[in-house]
Amino acid sequence: RPTPNPNISPLPPGSHILFTQSGKIEYIPLDGHNLKKNEAKTALHLPEKVVIGIAYDCVEKMIYWTDISTPAISRANLQGGEPVQLIKSDIGSPEGIAIDHLGRNMFWTDSMKDRIEVSSLDGTQRRVLVNTDLVNPRAILTDSTNGYIFWADWNRESPKIEMAYMDGTNRRVLAKDDLSLPNGLTYDPQTSLLCWADAGTHKVECMNPQQGRRTQLMEEIQYPFGLTTDGKNFYYTDWTRVSVVVVDRHLRREVDEFQPQKRTRLYGITTAHARCPAGQNYCSSN
Amino acid sequence: DSTVGSSSDCKACPCPAGATCAVVPKTNEVVCTNCPTGTTGKRCELCDDGFFGDPLGEKGPVRACRACSCNNNIDPNAVGNCNRESGECLKCIYNTAGVFCDRCKQGFYGDARAANVADKCKPCKCSPYGTVDRQTACSQVTGQCPCLPHVINRDCGACELGFYNLQSGKGCERCNCNPIGSTN
Repeated sequence: RPTPNPNISPLPPGSHILFTQSGKIEYIPLDGHNLKKNEAKTALHLPEKVVIGIAYDCVEKMIYWTDISTPAISRANLQGGEPVQLIKSDIGSPEGIAIDHLGRNMFWTDSMKDRIEVSSLDGTQRRVLVNTDLVNPRAILTDSTNGYIFWADWNRESPKIEMAYMDGTNRRVLAKDDLSLPNGLTYDPQTSLLCWADAGTHKVECMNPQQGRRTQLMEEIQYPFGLTTDGKNFYYTDWTRVSVVVVDRHLRREVDEFQPQKRTRLYGITTAHARCPAGQNYCSSN
Repeated sequence: DSTVGSSSDCKACPCPAGATCAVVPKTNEVVCTNCPTGTTGKRCELCDDGFFGDPLGEKGPVRACRACSCNNNIDPNAVGNCNRESGECLKCIYNTAGVFCDRCKQGFYGDARAANVADKCKPCKCSPYGTVDRQTACSQVTGQCPCLPHVINRDCGACELGFYNLQSGKGCERCNCNPIGSTN
């Protein structure tokens, strides 16, 4: 019987914001849509690793992360369990990671191999989905209900935001004009809004992927890396401020900021919802 | 353990000055939690992403963590730009390559260390007809492509004077013009 890893402090019940710094994964509990900043803790110490991307599987309550130092993709159950390496061969610089909680697959970007890959949540059934026209793919996320993936490529010559079906087909560019360094990306299934944070234009913008109209949410932000939403607020990690910044979607202004004790760059960020959103997709039925 | 009641209950953190530490429950392993800027690891023995060195001198002399040094041929928005210990550059851009992004990658030539991006590495663009084995690589410094017999120019795209038929793919052939009937 595996012994619980003492490096792991279990996530208390409820919803949380999870983010990564190079040697660890941190969590901040959410009280409604407010950060309980004085209850922020380290969820997982990984002192030898450089952890970049993070994703949460609401079904099995597992966290998944990419690590560019090994390099590898790993997961751990935060209720007590060993970190397990899932992908460790033929991998260059894994950055963004996303979970399809209905189809039980994970998707990731590799900025060295310049491709987007998929596998089952245990690392088997691995397949390359996209390996053309990618230069600096970073953020990736899923629309589980409709079976889409979205990703951003911050290629300085022609940055873009793209989408495709979860099998890699029907690929199309959603945005390419007036982009610079779209590092962060998030999708809110309630409103069908895809939003990104750009470290070059210093803006947060959104669009409905089916309708295509862009709207600006924030400007003059500093240096965003990761972006996530809980439906009401946006949360982004910022390299210049070395903090998690909270933006109210309706007020369109900053409402809070969390500065971790460790003053090193923050990378990926995600929302760990207490409950999975209801839904079904074609991958979950077959 | 401060509850035992002896004067040696609390030990100093085994971390560089100023860093705090925590005891991991159950294993009693001590992990530094607030390493000096640019360092990380259980004992602050590693450099953060974007830096390289050997801050505790575990593998030789102490080398403080410094920012990746790649001849300005890396992108500050990228992660994992260099190996955190050796400093080997891992994400060279502008068509450069090498341990410190200090030379042009195969198929390109020029000065990888030039200050101006436009002066850095240019594509060889060797002529497929005039180059030995239709090679696409050239001298990384001069840009000279390996030319077939009697083929000239950097890109092997022309015949020597008095030769013709570059398109043959076997080198240029002598014109063999009759000296009496030709103007030169």
